[in-house]
Amino acid sequence: MASGLPHPLLLAPLAGMDSITINGEVVNFSHVFYTWIAMAILFTLAFLVRGQIKLVPGKLQNVFEVIIGGLEDFVVGNIGEDGRKIFHVLIALFLFIITMNLMGLVPGFDAPTANVNTNAAMALFTFGYYNWIGLRRWGVGYIKHFCGPFWWLTPLMLPLELISHCARPLSLTLRLFGNIRGEEIVLILFFLLAPLVGTIPIYFLFGLAKCLQAFIWFMLSMIYLKGSLEHAH
Amino acid sequence: MVVKKNKGTNPGKYVDTMGTVGTIGLHMVSHPAVGAVAGYFLDDWLGTKPWMFITFLILGVIAGFRAVYADTKKVMRNQDKEDNERFQRKD
Repeated sequence: MASGLPHPLLLAPLAGMDSITINGEVVNFSHVFYTWIAMAILFTLAFLVRGQIKLVPGKLQNVFEVIIGGLEDFVVGNIGEDGRKIFHVLIALFLFIITMNLMGLVPGFDAPTANVNTNAAMALFTFGYYNWIGLRRWGVGYIKHFCGPFWWLTPLMLPLELISHCARPLSLTLRLFGNIRGEEIVLILFFLLAPLVGTIPIYFLFGLAKCLQAFIWFMLSMIYLKGSLEHAH
Repeated sequence: MVVKKNKGTNPGKYVDTMGTVGTIGLHMVSHPAVGAVAGYFLDDWLGTKPWMFITFLILGVIAGFRAVYADTKKVMRNQDKEDNERFQRKD
């Protein structure tokens, strides 16, 4: 949970992965370690489901079908049929983030999204991806997305649009980081105040909030991709 | 999150609206911040000490308000859609 605060048990120090030394500098490594664990969980689940795909879904396949199918409907309802081409990236981000967020609630684990570096990496990827999709779709004409509705407004709208596009990765990063880190700190404080009695009820609230944060990331990337896919106004 | 069609109230829409409302606050902060940082480094680069910073900070504030306006419009559109559906169900 929140690093810097006393914690009864964490997996990273036990595994010797708390920090590594690169060029004589000690670097905090625990968030990368927990990210690997999240990846391992997702890969294992994916291979388990893939190995026994049936027409009549079993329990695990059912869960995945509800999540992925429901969100695909949501994306296609918002973007249109183009949404199916980019859906794989969005759902990968969603599942990855929700796994990492919920890892903060498991004793012994830490949420990698409580570290700003994980979020910045994912936000920069999202930023690059929607711009790349826009460039691939519109070519040089993608610049029209930044020029506003009328040509004579371009000198005003171009800096405004550039600022608001650059603000997107920043607000994505800070929103996820602030929410998850804050929840981790509140959780550990409640644990210090009243072990179990204080923490168990708040698990439900934070479980909801963590799912909501993952969904917000998913929805915002969807909105950005929609903006870069549709015709410039 | 699961999109159901015409089955009472739609839970997906509430999550959608909650997500949009949750983004408004940070949009208000992040746009001026990006504007200020861009202006600061442009000042360093061009040697026009306070002017670029002031210009880009104001541009950032305008961009922030524009983002909040767009978010508000989105929330209101969702609300209108829901009102229409409720109205149609009553008939």
